Amino acid sequence: MKYYALRQLIQLAVVVVGISMLVFGILHVIGDPVLLLLPQNAGKEEYERYHKMLGLDKPIPVQYWKFASRAVQGDFGTSWYTSTPAFKLVLERMPPTLYLTTAGLVMALLIALPLGILAALKRHSFVDNLCTMLAVAGQAMPIFWLGIMLIIIFAVRLKVLPASGYGTWEHFLMPAFTLGAFLAPITMRLVRSGVIEILNMEYIRTARAKGFAEPTVIVKHAFRNACIPVITVLGLQFGQLLGGAIVTETVFAWPGVATLTVDSIRNQDFPVVQCAVVLLALIIVAVNFVVDMVVGLLDPRIRLGT
Amino acid sequence: MRRRISIGFALSLLLLGSMSLADAQTKDDTLVYALQSDVDTWDPPNSVLREAIILGYHVFDHLAARDLKTRRVGPSLATAWKTIDDTTWEVKLRQGVKFHDGSPFTAKDVKASFERVLDPTKKMTARGNHAKIKGVDIVDDYTVRFRTDGPYPLFVERMTALVIHSEKALREKPHEWVQENPIGTGPYKLVRWNRKQEHLLVRNDDYWGAKPHFKHVRIRIIPEQATQIAELISGGVDIIKAVPPDQMDVIDKSGQARTASSPILRTAMLQLDQAARGGPNPFTDRRVRQAANLAVDADAIIKHVLNGLGDRTATAVNPMAFGWDSGLKPYKQDLGRAKKLLAEAGFPNGVDITFNTGPPVVEPAIQQTNDAIVADMAKAGFRVKQNYIGDNTVLVARIKEGKGGPMFNWSWGYYSVFDADAILYDVFKCGENYSYYCNKELDDMIHAGRSTLDQKKRAEIYVKAQKLLFDDAAYLYKWGLRGVWGISNRVEYQAPADEVDRMFLATPRKK
Amino acid sequence: MKTVTASTDVALGAKTVAPAPRRSRIPLRRLWRFKWGVAAGAVMLLVVASAVCAPWIAPYSPVTVDIQHRLGPPAWMEGGTRAHLLGTDQIGRDLLSRVIYGGRVSLLIGTAAVLVSSGIGVLLGLAAGYFAGRIDWTIMTLVNVMLTFPFVLLALAVIAVLGPSLVNMIIVLGVADWPLYARVIRAETMAIREREFVLAGRALGMSHVRIIFNQILPNLVSVIVVIATLQVARVIILESFLSFLGLGVQPPTPAWGNMLGEGRVYMLNSWWIATFPGLAIFITTLTINLMGNALRDWLDPHMKV
Repeated sequence: MKYYALRQLIQLAVVVVGISMLVFGILHVIGDPVLLLLPQNAGKEEYERYHKMLGLDKPIPVQYWKFASRAVQGDFGTSWYTSTPAFKLVLERMPPTLYLTTAGLVMALLIALPLGILAALKRHSFVDNLCTMLAVAGQAMPIFWLGIMLIIIFAVRLKVLPASGYGTWEHFLMPAFTLGAFLAPITMRLVRSGVIEILNMEYIRTARAKGFAEPTVIVKHAFRNACIPVITVLGLQFGQLLGGAIVTETVFAWPGVATLTVDSIRNQDFPVVQCAVVLLALIIVAVNFVVDMVVGLLDPRIRLGT
Repeated sequence: MRRRISIGFALSLLLLGSMSLADAQTKDDTLVYALQSDVDTWDPPNSVLREAIILGYHVFDHLAARDLKTRRVGPSLATAWKTIDDTTWEVKLRQGVKFHDGSPFTAKDVKASFERVLDPTKKMTARGNHAKIKGVDIVDDYTVRFRTDGPYPLFVERMTALVIHSEKALREKPHEWVQENPIGTGPYKLVRWNRKQEHLLVRNDDYWGAKPHFKHVRIRIIPEQATQIAELISGGVDIIKAVPPDQMDVIDKSGQARTASSPILRTAMLQLDQAARGGPNPFTDRRVRQAANLAVDADAIIKHVLNGLGDRTATAVNPMAFGWDSGLKPYKQDLGRAKKLLAEAGFPNGVDITFNTGPPVVEPAIQQTNDAIVADMAKAGFRVKQNYIGDNTVLVARIKEGKGGPMFNWSWGYYSVFDADAILYDVFKCGENYSYYCNKELDDMIHAGRSTLDQKKRAEIYVKAQKLLFDDAAYLYKWGLRGVWGISNRVEYQAPADEVDRMFLATPRKK
Repeated sequence: MKTVTASTDVALGAKTVAPAPRRSRIPLRRLWRFKWGVAAGAVMLLVVASAVCAPWIAPYSPVTVDIQHRLGPPAWMEGGTRAHLLGTDQIGRDLLSRVIYGGRVSLLIGTAAVLVSSGIGVLLGLAAGYFAGRIDWTIMTLVNVMLTFPFVLLALAVIAVLGPSLVNMIIVLGVADWPLYARVIRAETMAIREREFVLAGRALGMSHVRIIFNQILPNLVSVIVVIATLQVARVIILESFLSFLGLGVQPPTPAWGNMLGEGRVYMLNSWWIATFPGLAIFITTLTINLMGNALRDWLDPHMKV
């Protein structure tokens, strides 16, 4: 078990470093933020000075090393746009996004689990296709369209929920549902294939042969072990969430880190973008790590194999 | 700056961020105002954003303030002013005013606020606006003298454009602290700022002027326009600004809110690269520029696309600005003449133009009007390709660098100074960052206009300047914008002509 | 007998080892079992046909501006006319024509991007699965990095540098999705690699390239086809997402994504501007998914994708 954990840790560390390098590289190719920072009447010497001051005149690997060595201590520099430490900015906005994505995942599971299990049980039938249709409906509908429709129905017409904002549990409902609907199809597909895999395994056939009633088979044997692919699915999905989160946060005026990242890219506020992406990657990777650990515990074949 | 963030600090930030934000305000004593994007700082002279100016009005005061009904500048923190000579202004200050931190307002605060902005090493964004002031001298606790670099006729207008900070705060606290903690003399105090989410203001009960009715103001950041409107008509927000003309009927029919519009100083135009800042291009030829102006049926666009919410201008000088020439009539669409001019200029088969456009930040329905303009220009032979730059900051930066041409969207708010100079200098003078026009004759007129204190002479100069700009078709002229506000029916509020929302003037509607 | 594969790959649909079925004859009468898939296929054919025949069936040009008749409602509503069946948009362009022409762009991007991503993904997956060892480790790390890296940021960054255009969109979308193929193909390749006919081929001295392309790849075709089909739907949605951010196909060229983006402010009153392109995306995506399901069941019922 220890070796497994170590192996996973190393790979995850590599992933985080890889992401930070990728982000760093991309940002420095994009553009020149110095022009955005200088006041209107600045001249060429000002430009050179700023360039030097921000360290943009050194070769990229050198700049990356400086960034990385400070980053591990928690110093991601100061936002070029707002003169506050990037770390503080990102940390401030992280909780709303995390809560939103968790709620979205829960919502996705609520939709995808029953549909996925049903589809797996009734493979290739009309029900299977119907579940696919329902699941896909959530994703095929553009998120912001779904979001605004929900706002119109529940906030404007029925007046039972607040249209946007962050604060109480009622503020969570619509954004979580919107995000969940976005994630549901892929989640459903993965749940379905996971359950199919389990159902075909020998011990299930043995249970059936022994004469256990089908519900017992499903609940007692299949379900518990089907949790493995489901947990795995969660880990995978977490990484895909940023895209859905951006639109959801925009439509519902949610003060999250996804919109912060997009805005910072637009403002070419490098320190904040780097900090946000690296921290997000860390979280995603940590979630995947936990998932792999849990799965490894549950299923010895996984940690001993490959 | 090296700073080590301990785990504990990080955890506590996480916890703080997760606490519910329901506060002790009730619906009746709180006014909710929505903005599309958040400010980058609470230090107004350090920001280019209009939102920073608006928020600044709530927590700070200026030396002078505009009366919204008469549109004239009147006393605020300054009670009287006069010129001592051509280059000196003397200003008398109001007594008995206190800052939010308790310290009294005196001349030293004025001196500190101005010197801070004028200091080239501080690189404040607003420095260019006040650069004509050479120095500030304290005569006594309530009298200040401003020495200017030559005659400065805009002095009075510009007194409305700088907030007065507490000298004590500026002296004792670091720059970063001032960005987040505004200490002013204004009608509201800042209680809390959750970035990108909301600000909470509380009434200053020791305010020297008229106390605002609402005890609390919540400023919510809602980036999506459709969501803003939904919030307004479902009661979540009381006042929104920059309502697109096409959405006015949604609000008016809702029964919960209404729209109000007002002409604002902001004027829109398409800048044409006459000065060839981006290199040679068709618009260096006056005939091509005139053809562009003659191709577009701006009146129809205002009527159909803006639902009549625009005031056609002959040049970029706004009807509300001092020096506007009411006798000058704008270009009327004439496709035949436009085609002829293009052919004369050497483009008998039309010409290809790249058009740099941006998102709707200050100009309503900009994408729709752009599309309509492009369609009109096509009828005269201009093959226009739109190059959409998704971020306004990036677009503005490129324009500043000289890469905006050959044609791009531009609008100018005059920094809320109702004077022709406030646009001619920044947008038409040769060599200015945001000007793509270069004409020595015009530059001489601009210089003359700001070198005398005689308003009559200035008006004459500006009439000549506008005729020049019109005949030379410096840019593609459009219209003065009209701001549209959405106001909840539980609130009484006037749409402000200077684009500065003042929550402290809002009152509840009588049933 | 089952081979042990990593849990994630199981979830993604790696096959358990069963003898490779003979693919030469797939009974056509099985098609009746998949009537939903066939129906979906027919709808899809309609969509593709209308996109291809756009210049002949669209009533107007998609870029004709007519500001006098802007924001016209669909024909069956009050104020609508038969001249504009689905209404007009915010500068008077006919919505029906724009939806039809928009299909061209969306389908073109979808197909092209999928070709790019499946090409890259299959090649890298084959390499990782066949050669294993360090090549495998490198490629899988790259896959993990790409999967963790938010697609949106990648798209934003790339398009910010290269500028928004049709070709750049295809590149971005193609590059973003290849990890999915790589993972699945890798798992499959690893499973097939140990089988007798491959071992025999190696004993006979066949080169690696021949083995990969002659023996392994043909067994993967059905998986690739199914995933690729489903991915077309996903790419179309991603395209609309990028256009929402202003990074997609630029107006006035109609694409369902940018039409949605332009129409989003109008959801409260002139709702048809955003709804009809949205409906087009919805129908297309749905039918592609159903078709993909049927395809999977037809080609190999044991596939777990």
